[in-house]
Amino acid sequence: MSASENKRSLIVGLFVFIGLIILVAGILVMGTQQNKFSKNIKVTAFFKDVKGLKVGNNVWFSGVKVGIIKEIAFEGVENVRVSMNIEEKNSQFIRKDVVATLGSDGLIGNSIISLVGGNPQTPQIADGDVLKSGASVGMEQMMGMLQENGTNLSVITSNFAKLSQQMVDGKGTVGALMTDDDIANNLKTSVQSMNKVMSDANVAVNNLVALTQKLNSNQGLIHDLTTDTKVFASLREAAAQLQGVTQTANALVENLNQTSARLNDKDNAIGVLTNDPEAANEIKQILRNLNTSTQKLDDNMEALQSNFLFRGFFKKREKEADKVAEEIK
Amino acid sequence: MGRKINNLLLEFARLHRFLMRFFREVVSPPFEFKEIIRQCYEVGWKSFPLISLTGFIVGFVFTKQSRPSLEEFGATSWLPALISIAIVRALAPLVTALIASGKVGSQIGAELSSMNVTEQIDAMEVSGTNPFKFLIVSRIVATTLMIPVLCFYVAGIGLFGGYLSITSKDDLSLLSFFTQVFESIQMIDLFAMVLRAVVFGFTIGFASCYVGYYSSKGTEGVGIAANSAVVASMFIVFIEELLIVQLLGFITPLIS
Repeated sequence: MSASENKRSLIVGLFVFIGLIILVAGILVMGTQQNKFSKNIKVTAFFKDVKGLKVGNNVWFSGVKVGIIKEIAFEGVENVRVSMNIEEKNSQFIRKDVVATLGSDGLIGNSIISLVGGNPQTPQIADGDVLKSGASVGMEQMMGMLQENGTNLSVITSNFAKLSQQMVDGKGTVGALMTDDDIANNLKTSVQSMNKVMSDANVAVNNLVALTQKLNSNQGLIHDLTTDTKVFASLREAAAQLQGVTQTANALVENLNQTSARLNDKDNAIGVLTNDPEAANEIKQILRNLNTSTQKLDDNMEALQSNFLFRGFFKKREKEADKVAEEIK
Repeated sequence: MGRKINNLLLEFARLHRFLMRFFREVVSPPFEFKEIIRQCYEVGWKSFPLISLTGFIVGFVFTKQSRPSLEEFGATSWLPALISIAIVRALAPLVTALIASGKVGSQIGAELSSMNVTEQIDAMEVSGTNPFKFLIVSRIVATTLMIPVLCFYVAGIGLFGGYLSITSKDDLSLLSFFTQVFESIQMIDLFAMVLRAVVFGFTIGFASCYVGYYSSKGTEGVGIAANSAVVASMFIVFIEELLIVQLLGFITPLIS
């Protein structure tokens, strides 16, 4: 074999060797990444709907890839058995009571199964375990919720639109507040008077403060009232006396009542006078008669003055009256 | 018309005989190891610079071109997965096969047909060497072995080109890149890549040898042979690609 041929073989051998290394490295890296060569624990979970989960998809626990989906098969109507391989080195952290839920590794990412929860007290998962499966918030549910929210939002915004239109139009309290100048002016004045009231109130409060300070100092009636037991005793006495007085007053009022009741009756003089219309008429007649009698008497008296028997008496009285007037002068 | 069909059928018969002869000769001693190594050197090592450069450019450009469409919905982080699937499943074997049929196919076609024209093949037979074994089998074996190897290089270099293209815009470590690359492909994809490369390599060697071996006498026959070696290889490679994709689509769900 010549030297050049030897060199050629060497180059070809090296070339092929490196090429194969690339292939083998690729296979090994991929194999370890997809746990083709690591020891696995096989567990299963049952789902009603696997939402496009595929064999080879990842299994996550706390967001860390711990295995892959090995098999998906129907077990019955709406019952899909999902077998997964969990890496043995990670299985010690996964408990028997974890819940397998369907998820996605991104908004548009691959479907995954994520293992959730697990009580540290329960033993770790073992080969052949059946995991509980939990409902997950799927894309469709999220979309449904979004749709509902959207409808609600549109209702809310339309209500707001109505509301704001009414505000602009000046309907309702807020609208009136915003658009009516009168109300604004009124408000301004009321705020001003409020201000005044507040300042008055301030003064009043200051006075009150002064008063309470006085109360706190050991002077004044209220202090005595609140602190002096003697005053209280005499007050109680006074109250008792007042009670007696009111009782007497009560009796008095009762008597008065009786009297007035009597007045209403006709079996006594005043009662007749006040209550009997007949008696009143008679009295009226009497009074009228008296009137005429006195008038006639007056006439008689005048006639008597001009009578000669009594003329001398009247003249004498006139003279005496004149004499008294002259003496005063 | 009848004559044309007749000719076509005769061609098929010759093709079949050629194929059968190859399989018979390839397993029967004596083996021309030295010639096979020489052909491997010619096919593999000599094509390596051209094919690796092409692979790098394909990886780089493909990544660059894919970026905008992924960027549209903010999924540029998926570029490694995309490149990985594209290169391993389709581009690496295909690009290798196409470049190799241009470089190696034309070479084999021209070489054999010129030997044919100058009657070296007949002379070889007279001198006691089996020309079929020495010329045809060694070349077909060389392409069948070397195209897969070249394909591995192309895949590796193409992915590296893709990585460089990504890092020109994003910050991504090589480790993270290759983690994502291998996450998105399956064992069946690697298997399919090897299968494709082997089939393409065999196709290139076989078609070029056949065309060169049966080239018409005369100087223009060399040109025609070189030309049709490339055209036939490329054409058959594409048809095989189509068939293999169909076949894998059928097999993949059964295996995984």
